[in-house]
Amino acid sequence: MRRTMLYLPGNNPNMLTRGYLFGPDGLILDLEDAVAMAEKDTARILVQHFLKQGEFGKCEVTVRINGVDTEYWKDDLAAVVPFPVLQGVRAPKVDDANTVKIIDEELSMIEDKHGIPVGRTKIFCLLETAKGIWNAYDIASASPRVAAIIPGGEDLTADLKTSRSSEGTELDWARRMLVFAARAAGVDPIDTVFPRVTDDAGLRKETEFIKQLGFEGKSVIHPNQIPIIHDVFNPTEKEIEKALKIVAAAKEAAERGQGAVSVDGRMVDIPVVKRAEHTLVKAGLLEVK
Amino acid sequence: MNTAQAGTLESMDCLVTVSEAASGTGVKIQITGSSAARFKSAMEKKVSEVIASMGVKDIEISIQDNGALDIVLGARVEAAVKRLMGGER
Repeated sequence: MRRTMLYLPGNNPNMLTRGYLFGPDGLILDLEDAVAMAEKDTARILVQHFLKQGEFGKCEVTVRINGVDTEYWKDDLAAVVPFPVLQGVRAPKVDDANTVKIIDEELSMIEDKHGIPVGRTKIFCLLETAKGIWNAYDIASASPRVAAIIPGGEDLTADLKTSRSSEGTELDWARRMLVFAARAAGVDPIDTVFPRVTDDAGLRKETEFIKQLGFEGKSVIHPNQIPIIHDVFNPTEKEIEKALKIVAAAKEAAERGQGAVSVDGRMVDIPVVKRAEHTLVKAGLLEVK
Repeated sequence: MNTAQAGTLESMDCLVTVSEAASGTGVKIQITGSSAARFKSAMEKKVSEVIASMGVKDIEISIQDNGALDIVLGARVEAAVKRLMGGER
């Protein structure tokens, strides 16, 4: 589950220590924008020590590396990839499939060197330019390592030469495009952050909107945002009850050798069963298939 | 005398200052701050381990602590020493 992925500034011991306690589904130890240029070296070492000895609970652990257009990204990867707790890297400013391939090759080299199964480290791609959004499907399908694609917020808005509004009009098309590309490629679409950290009502509204578009979850910049996003993404009692009924009826029909099922007088076909299973996975009542 | 620093005085962090020392001086550690009184020996042990693992024999280390955990202390010492050696910037 990737309902919430919380950014933790890579040079902040307090947040790196306590981040998992806020119960997000995933953590992003950030070596990029949250770290000042002069502290890139110390942040990398601090994150390395946390990956070696830190506590992360049940969170999916990822590190946001610096962009491939900087002098830092190879050192970032070399520092973090060897640790078994690391499940993936979040790559900023991915504009095309070639960027994914460059990172893929570097990851393979490091994994091979350290005796790690090649392909273990996933890539979470941040699409922060108009070009990146345009190439979304190519990026998402550029490597089996790609686990998710994420639209940029601030950077993308700047590249579009507009500004961020409370309605998110400027990001509307990019978000829809990203969901289509991700689903077509079989990876997760994860939304950008909601920057107004004290606007709970605004966060809830935006989360409801992106859930309806088809997003799996949202990037998070403040721990207080986590319960609100989980609340929106968690299935309701009614949805769970209905899903349980559908899955049980489908199972029973399959055992009898029947394809079509009827639940509460309505015909239920395969897409409906799949959606019901997805609901139960989200409710923690079914393992991911 | 060359010196280097790493870390901050923020909560759960520490500021580590390291200085080159003449050959044969050994490792000199000075710790001040909130946890120093209670955890000084454990902190000294951690710092010594990191220094030894980096192959450094002569160095002066001063730590201003604001509640840094072992992980943080180790990372800040490593970063400061690497900066002193000019190996990583």
